[in-house]
Amino acid sequence: MRERWMQRIGDELAQAWTVAVKDVRVYYMTAPMIMFGLLLPFFLFFSFSVKRDVAADVGMARLLALTTFFTASSAGPVIIPMERRTGAYDRLLAAPMSVVTLLGGKMLVGALFAIMVSLVPLLIGVLFLNVTVASVGFLLAGIVFASLAFSAFGLLFGSIPTGSATAVGSIMMPSTLVRWPLLFISGVFIPLAEMSPTMRAVAYLSPLTYAQDLMNHAVLRAGQINPWLDLAVLIASVILLLAPSVWMHQRSRQLGY
Amino acid sequence: MNSAIEVNNLTKVYGSPGTGVLAVDHISFEVQQGEIFGFLGPNGAGKTTTQRMLTTLLEPTEGRIVVFGHDLTSDAYPVKRQMGLVPEESNIYTELTAWDNLMFTASLYRVPRAQRAERVQHWLEAFGLWEKRDVKAASFSKGMRRRLSIAMAIIHRPTLLFLDEPTPGLDAQSARVIRDLIRQLNSQGTTIFLTTHQIEEANLLCDRVAIINNGRIAAIDTPERLKATFRRVQSVEVALEPNGSAHGPALAALPGVTTATKMGDKQRLYTEDPSTLLLQITDYARANSLRIVSLNTLGPSLEDVFLEITGQQVGTVRHEEQEQKGGRRRMGGGQ
Repeated sequence: MRERWMQRIGDELAQAWTVAVKDVRVYYMTAPMIMFGLLLPFFLFFSFSVKRDVAADVGMARLLALTTFFTASSAGPVIIPMERRTGAYDRLLAAPMSVVTLLGGKMLVGALFAIMVSLVPLLIGVLFLNVTVASVGFLLAGIVFASLAFSAFGLLFGSIPTGSATAVGSIMMPSTLVRWPLLFISGVFIPLAEMSPTMRAVAYLSPLTYAQDLMNHAVLRAGQINPWLDLAVLIASVILLLAPSVWMHQRSRQLGY
Repeated sequence: MNSAIEVNNLTKVYGSPGTGVLAVDHISFEVQQGEIFGFLGPNGAGKTTTQRMLTTLLEPTEGRIVVFGHDLTSDAYPVKRQMGLVPEESNIYTELTAWDNLMFTASLYRVPRAQRAERVQHWLEAFGLWEKRDVKAASFSKGMRRRLSIAMAIIHRPTLLFLDEPTPGLDAQSARVIRDLIRQLNSQGTTIFLTTHQIEEANLLCDRVAIINNGRIAAIDTPERLKATFRRVQSVEVALEPNGSAHGPALAALPGVTTATKMGDKQRLYTEDPSTLLLQITDYARANSLRIVSLNTLGPSLEDVFLEITGQQVGTVRHEEQEQKGGRRRMGGGQ
């Protein structure tokens, strides 16, 4: 019995990896995706930093949070509806693996993409702008778990069981409406310390707040929240954000979407 | 013989049970192991909904599905390992090569690593895709995509294969390759569940067929027994000269003719009594100085049976209800 379960767990992990590798080859290793992943965070950063005299280390901390957030959460709302439309998703759902495994594979690939893209601002900051990293451990853990959490966040939108779920545009709308406001309430452009108590209370609801705060600890050695709490919240966010997607997949089976 | 699939009281309502759309209405049937089972029905009859429930893609509103002894609601994992699915649309990854598509599926279904390349090569060769193994599937024709899609569904050697409309839109050669493959897989012990509205395909391939209409099973039997049940859709096909088509209305008015259909230069006359009608046709030809170019009697085709059951107007004008024979359901009127 135990051996059978060990075999099953091994199979599910291998299947999650298979899904991730397939997604990399089919969706991520494309020129538009790479350009989007690399350029958008830079554009965002410069649009909010020009003429504001932002120090290099502050800029790098912001850019790391922005990069993980945008790149990890951008593909999830697109890939699942696209695969539903072509019927490829049925093959994955009918395969002998759990929905958690399927979503785990998709979350993993989104996170890996974000981690790779976040290396660009990190290397530029360290190599060319002489930014020093205060805590390598918090930095790496922050990038990894923020990427996983934001990738799970993106999958939330792709999993919405609506009759028009097969239309990518209908999923992008709520995704954009939720993701953009998060930038302004999460301490990325307006530091937590400068927020009103009400705004700060709202900021604590966003996982991006904890990612930004952890990057501030790792790069600037300054944050508003305990870094271990930041990390714990990001880890919890992975599960909390993945669980509704699993539930919505089950709901899709009932509704027939 | 053991059951591969047992379906009891299966129902699917899209939307709320009270106000939703009833797609499948309390259907029950069995598919035996080693059988090619055809699931026929017009568009919107509930074929695909039923198949999606059988393949775990859709949750039934009511009812029970047991596959190889496993209840699909509580114990789907062992069933999924034994199941292959070929959906109506070829769901291949066009960004990947034929080789990579198959290797991906082999990995997904946990085909032992040492066997993957060998199996992939086998099926690429069997489907005539070996030369194109390194070409991205985006450039494949519809037939090639279909063959690749089927290869992806059988790479793990399923014992139960679901095929949804496998051949429509394909050239004759591709369709024949797929039909031959279905027969070959079945001869090796694979149970086939074939969803189709191509009646002749079901006639050629299936051991038994179920006809679903308006979400209900209207008939289940072997193709030949179904045809025998519908003796009244027998017909006589006649070609007369000169100007044979001008005599269509007169032939349709002969006693015993239920419906007349023009078939090219011939008239097909449906009747319950072909032998009497033959005599009437020869009398008519003699009386009008016509030459009989051809005269054939035809038994009911599976298409006739299908159209009769689903209430579509070809073949017969009368839709009398037939009593069940041998415990079979009442036909034409659902359950």
